[in-house]
Amino acid sequence: MPILELRDITKIFPGVRANDGVSLRLERGEIVALLGENGAGKSTLMNVVYGLMAPDGGEVFVDGAQVHIKTPRDAIALGIGMVHQHFMLVQTLTVTENIILGHEPSRFGVIDLVSARSKVSDLSTRYGLKVDPDERVADLSVGMQQRVEILKALFQGARILILDEPTAVLTPQEVRELFGVVRSLVAEGLSVVLITHKLDEVMGVADRVVVMRDGRVVGETTPAETDQVGLARMMVGRDVVLSVDKAPSKPGETVLEVRDLAVLDDRRLEALRCISLVVRAGEVVGIAGVDGNGQRELVEAIVGLRKPTSGSISLRGKDITHAAPHATIHAGVSHVPEDRQRRGLVLEFDLAENLVLGDQSDAPYASAGIMHGRVIDETARERIADYDVRTPSIRVLAGNLSGGNQQKLVLAREMGRDPDLLVAAQPTRGLDVGAIEFVHRRILAERDSGKAILLVSMELDEIMSLSDRILVMYEGRVAAELSSEEADAERIGYFMTGGSNKDGAPLQKPATTVAEGGAS
Amino acid sequence: MWLSFFTPDLFASAIRMATPLALAAIGGTICERSGVVNIALEGMMLVGAFFGVVVTLATNNVLLGVGAAIVAGVLLSAIHAFASVTLRMDQVVSGTALNILALGLTGFLMEVIYGHPGATNGIQHIIGPVFNFPTGGTGVLATIWTWIDQIVFSYTPIVYLAIIIAIVAQWAMFHTRWGLRLRALGEHPRAADTVGIRVQAGRYSAVLISGALAGLAGANLTLEQVGVYSDNMTSGRGFIALAANIFGRWTPAGSYLASLLFGFAEALEIRMQSFQSVIHVPVQFFLALPYVLVVIVLAGFMGRAVGPAAVGKPYEKE
Repeated sequence: MPILELRDITKIFPGVRANDGVSLRLERGEIVALLGENGAGKSTLMNVVYGLMAPDGGEVFVDGAQVHIKTPRDAIALGIGMVHQHFMLVQTLTVTENIILGHEPSRFGVIDLVSARSKVSDLSTRYGLKVDPDERVADLSVGMQQRVEILKALFQGARILILDEPTAVLTPQEVRELFGVVRSLVAEGLSVVLITHKLDEVMGVADRVVVMRDGRVVGETTPAETDQVGLARMMVGRDVVLSVDKAPSKPGETVLEVRDLAVLDDRRLEALRCISLVVRAGEVVGIAGVDGNGQRELVEAIVGLRKPTSGSISLRGKDITHAAPHATIHAGVSHVPEDRQRRGLVLEFDLAENLVLGDQSDAPYASAGIMHGRVIDETARERIADYDVRTPSIRVLAGNLSGGNQQKLVLAREMGRDPDLLVAAQPTRGLDVGAIEFVHRRILAERDSGKAILLVSMELDEIMSLSDRILVMYEGRVAAELSSEEADAERIGYFMTGGSNKDGAPLQKPATTVAEGGAS
Repeated sequence: MWLSFFTPDLFASAIRMATPLALAAIGGTICERSGVVNIALEGMMLVGAFFGVVVTLATNNVLLGVGAAIVAGVLLSAIHAFASVTLRMDQVVSGTALNILALGLTGFLMEVIYGHPGATNGIQHIIGPVFNFPTGGTGVLATIWTWIDQIVFSYTPIVYLAIIIAIVAQWAMFHTRWGLRLRALGEHPRAADTVGIRVQAGRYSAVLISGALAGLAGANLTLEQVGVYSDNMTSGRGFIALAANIFGRWTPAGSYLASLLFGFAEALEIRMQSFQSVIHVPVQFFLALPYVLVVIVLAGFMGRAVGPAAVGKPYEKE
């Protein structure tokens, strides 16, 4: 008897059938991966199971008995726990307070903190989820916060654990630890539903894979019966090229030159220390590094969002060190920001308005301070068609697009103004394979048309497959420069973690450090 | 001169003046901790003060008057809860509307009931001090006793009640299930929802509690301090209470202590007025003192105040 069974779940949002007769079965002690692109309806389905959304049709069975889950409280009482993609933790409360919230051990309303804390540390040792029960959640790393979420579900007595995109925010190391934890949970008798769109995770950890597309289940398989290419085909509905084919680069003249740049971060600490780099026309320069080693500040300094304390930035020989963002746009710099929802788009504006942001006061979109709606709309339609943004109309608000379409919209605007330099920060973060493929092809097409491209990414695979040269950043410096031929994950990883800098000597000559790195 | 300026009565007066501020401020703290902004504290105090007098005059029972003040505050806060929690209205707009409503309603009913504008009739006996120990005599011991009697034993019941409420609310907010859930509601209502806490119900109860406390603050003003209701007699105390809540960093004890500071400014204001012949400063200066202090404290000494993350944001389930 399956521990959880869903039959013909249907959930209709205005205009969309988010779930269309979805059935799913979860056996005891099993890890089922629910695979699908963003917007396929995976999270909706699990929100129905957890009582956060009321289904428009279908039945849910737990231990063979039909149940009606109307609120999360019902779900918890049935032993269903969920770790949400965006953590449901109260930042100002401690680990223990977050875990017991809603199920506080108490006498006459007074919380028994001593027994609460000891229960939390019992669970934490039993499942190998080490965490300090008295720490404030706001002070924890993302990986630790996820442990707290899992502990919370266990504390509530979960037998069925739903993990919604659990690896989206984790480092590779944390992903490995998480899957170790998941396996030990299953060994203890729990059953797990893993929502994901990452193929390698599915192959690595799942017992069975259920693939969803457009609100329907389109297939079921096991990792043994298929491979990543096969899974991608089921998920997207067509063949997907997972590896990037690219012609050798033909670098031209220097476009971007950064010299001895020093920049402070928001806490007024030194984020960049005398960094120098060059990007030439027709090449992709990739910046690799662990998040927080100055990548963000470098990008912001180049596009004019952050004032350098010393050094210079020039574009085709023209000094733009202290240029404001509008001036850098005019000079020929386009910017795909890492957070498309906060900096890339105005979510409350429609697509046409978003597509002229930055150029809104210039010809041909405006003259004498008055915007020309017809020109703007025509351009918008062209760019939307060109970049395959899936939308019923240009009047749709940007906030209503899926993540992939939002990113295409940003690219359409930034490339549409025909820049000399494209600075792309995390251009595929949170996108599914289909959209990633599109963004990658577009970036390489721009390179081949002679644009200079500076690519910042935390995804090593992305850096390695797109870049012609790779700079590894560590603590605000370039720790190493590698050509695409000599770069492999191990070598980049070595420099990312400060590899060649053990003796504290500054790295002046990247070439020699490469040799040291390779030797050790 | 200084000896007659800093008398024990000045400090006792500070605590008395702090009481309505503190009660409303603690109400504001509880309300905002649940995620609802309550700028209608002023109006809730006002209806409390007014209906306290009306019911006392009608029944000749001051206890019923206090009860009526609390009920009036709760009823007004129920409108605020309905507007901001159920209808998900902008909480500042709702609060402003209620302040205007309270002012208009009390002014209107005053004329209807008593036939003259400006003030109600006075109640016969205001609520007296709880203790009444003999004082007097000469010598050091007598002086010390006078100070103790004035600062510790000279107050009316609601003054003591406010201190008890501050202590109990402070403890409850950080040691009980109610307090933990309240804090979660204002920080991350969705997280509370996903662990089975009823967000709307929790917010309703917090708003109603703030109404009860603000109503009680109004009762303290009319039934313990003045004995008569005059038009707009709170004169911004509800807003000073909000400032005290912020200065007290959204904790009941902090709210009380911040109210003490503002209460002391008010006591100082009154005391200085009686020294006008000596100090030679226009009386308007003294009147402005508590408000100026609020501005200085909030703008100058406070640093960045971080309130509950979700305060002011209506919660929607899907």
